[in-house]
Amino acid sequence: MKSRAAKSRTADLFAAAERRAEISPALIPLAQPAPIPLAPPQARKPHAPLRPKQLWYAAVFPDMSALESSGAALQKLCLHAHSFTSFVSIEPPNALLLEIKGSVKLFGSLQQLHADLDDCWRRLMLPAHTAVAPSTLAALWLARAGGASQIEDTDLPSRLAKVPIACTAWDIERLQTLRAMGVTSLGELMRLPRAGIARRLGPAVVGDLDIALARQPAPRRAFVRRERFRERCDFETEIEHVAYLEKALEPLIERCARFLRRRQAGIQALQLKLTHRAGPATRVQAGLASITSERRRLSDVLCQKLTRLELRAPVRGMELISGSLRGLSASSLDVFAGFTGAGSRDSAPQLVERLRARLGEEAVYGVCLIAEHRPEAAWRRVHELHLTAAARVAEEISDQLPRPVWLLNEPLPLPKPEILQGPERIESGWWDGKGVARDYYIARQPAGRPPGEGQDGPGHGARLWVFQERRSKRWYVHGVFA
Amino acid sequence: MSCVVVKTWMPREESLLADVLADARVWKLKDASAAPARPVWSTGKSSLDARLPGGGWPTASLIEVLLDDTGLGEVQLFLPALVACQASRHGSDAPWLVWIAPPHEPYAPALAQSGIELKRLLVVRPTTATEALWAAEQALSSGVCAAVLLWLKGTDDRWLRRLKLAAEAGGSLGVLFRPEKHRFEASPANLRIVISRGEPCARVDLLKVQGGRPGPVDLGEP
Repeated sequence: MKSRAAKSRTADLFAAAERRAEISPALIPLAQPAPIPLAPPQARKPHAPLRPKQLWYAAVFPDMSALESSGAALQKLCLHAHSFTSFVSIEPPNALLLEIKGSVKLFGSLQQLHADLDDCWRRLMLPAHTAVAPSTLAALWLARAGGASQIEDTDLPSRLAKVPIACTAWDIERLQTLRAMGVTSLGELMRLPRAGIARRLGPAVVGDLDIALARQPAPRRAFVRRERFRERCDFETEIEHVAYLEKALEPLIERCARFLRRRQAGIQALQLKLTHRAGPATRVQAGLASITSERRRLSDVLCQKLTRLELRAPVRGMELISGSLRGLSASSLDVFAGFTGAGSRDSAPQLVERLRARLGEEAVYGVCLIAEHRPEAAWRRVHELHLTAAARVAEEISDQLPRPVWLLNEPLPLPKPEILQGPERIESGWWDGKGVARDYYIARQPAGRPPGEGQDGPGHGARLWVFQERRSKRWYVHGVFA
Repeated sequence: MSCVVVKTWMPREESLLADVLADARVWKLKDASAAPARPVWSTGKSSLDARLPGGGWPTASLIEVLLDDTGLGEVQLFLPALVACQASRHGSDAPWLVWIAPPHEPYAPALAQSGIELKRLLVVRPTTATEALWAAEQALSSGVCAAVLLWLKGTDDRWLRRLKLAAEAGGSLGVLFRPEKHRFEASPANLRIVISRGEPCARVDLLKVQGGRPGPVDLGEP
């Protein structure tokens, strides 16, 4: 009997977890490390003292469910709620849940905080039912039941007992089943045997009860505001020169940097919209090599873009729009960076993005090795540069013959040269149709015409990396030892 | 040494010595050849090191290499210095190497073979000479690059001066490869060398050495 009950308890847990698919453990505001009880909760001592680690404030806005865009309205309310706590969660269709344990001390007392929060909705002319409880669902159900109430942990079951079951927002069928059983309040439901409830009404009901009674943690997704910097500035006169635009851009960028700094966030993309008297606005897109909030880097990359811009028409106004905000990874800044001399004025990402802003994305790249025998496939360009941290990886250098510093894009034919060193046979790639069978030598460029038509071909006396095609016996130059 | 010479010329008064030394036309050999405070990077050739003041390529300066052909071992002369300056600092502030407008693709296996950290190598391919010079100036003055190598067909004196100032400001080693026809033009570079083909190996001529003696250098076997 006992083992069967334990099994159903485990099943409840899984079902509850599945039902709340949206929850993410990373967002739990320090839930108590709730030990999953192996024995059914009935076996516990009554009123086992559980110190509340969380206090939840629920606000239900009864007028809001009628609104069509209640989601957007709730998100706006979240912004207001953020002035009381950093953890705000939306409970559709018409409620907010705030974790306020950490804010109690700041506001003086729980009563004060509760009153301040209620005041906030009153000022917005929004009728709200509110409640405070140690668990999310308890706060929500109590708020729906109406009447501003605060409950401590010890009397949680007794206070919840009076709440009508309609406040739980379970589906109609379950509520009807419960009413048919003669259950109208949560107290009556809690008196029923646990296994029986799970069998008749589904494990979700038992799970909800556990959450409401703070026996089981219920992680919630916090509302994170998605905002971006967007500010426009209209000119009194039309501007025709890019240099003036750069001047006018400075305060905008300053404000953008302050905006980012305040949120401890950075951006990786920026857009500048230049509006004209007629015709569509000119858009200048700028990308940054790494997430940043530094004013100098933002203005640097935009100014580089602007200097290359040819204005179609005089500019009447501009708007600076940031890309989505990203968290800035903490990095220690050097207090003395400015004093160590001229050497530490820029950072590598800054240099790369400045070069890319003017020369184009493709013009700045790195190179990397590929484990491959064919010389032309043993390297490639990389455009994602490891800008911040470079781990010195010991590259495996085989004891092959020396390789030339320059590799020609295409092997060029040449007459048989004067061999200095070799051969090194490279025979590979039969599997992908680009097979090679070559004998590589180091040779000296013979006197006479330089190979190829290019003017910068190696001259007489240069050390070349040549190979003989094994099938055709023809000679080609593939690289130059510079 | 110079003291003695001055005294024989002007035996009258002791105080005149200071006046003579203050004259801009008097060049004090001893001071100029004193070991520079800046570090130098070895060229990998002892005969060349011996001829350069301080015993290697000077940092925070512009070096001009004049040559008509590739394949004379010109990059080879700088590879040991590039490896050494990359190894001078570790971690996230490891210095970068920037190669601007190289004549061919820099071949990664060869660079790895010589010990260059490829993760800190940047290749820039500008479309025009002005852009190449601009990129070189930016890289040199940024202070994050240990060495900037630039290949150009030609440029003018003004740009060279800008490059030199940028190299001094950023403390990086700037190397400019140009055709040999610019040999007789004035250049503000700290060091100018000509590499030409010869038998059995390339010939290196020091055209201008600040604080050293110009003249041909015997490199020995390549």
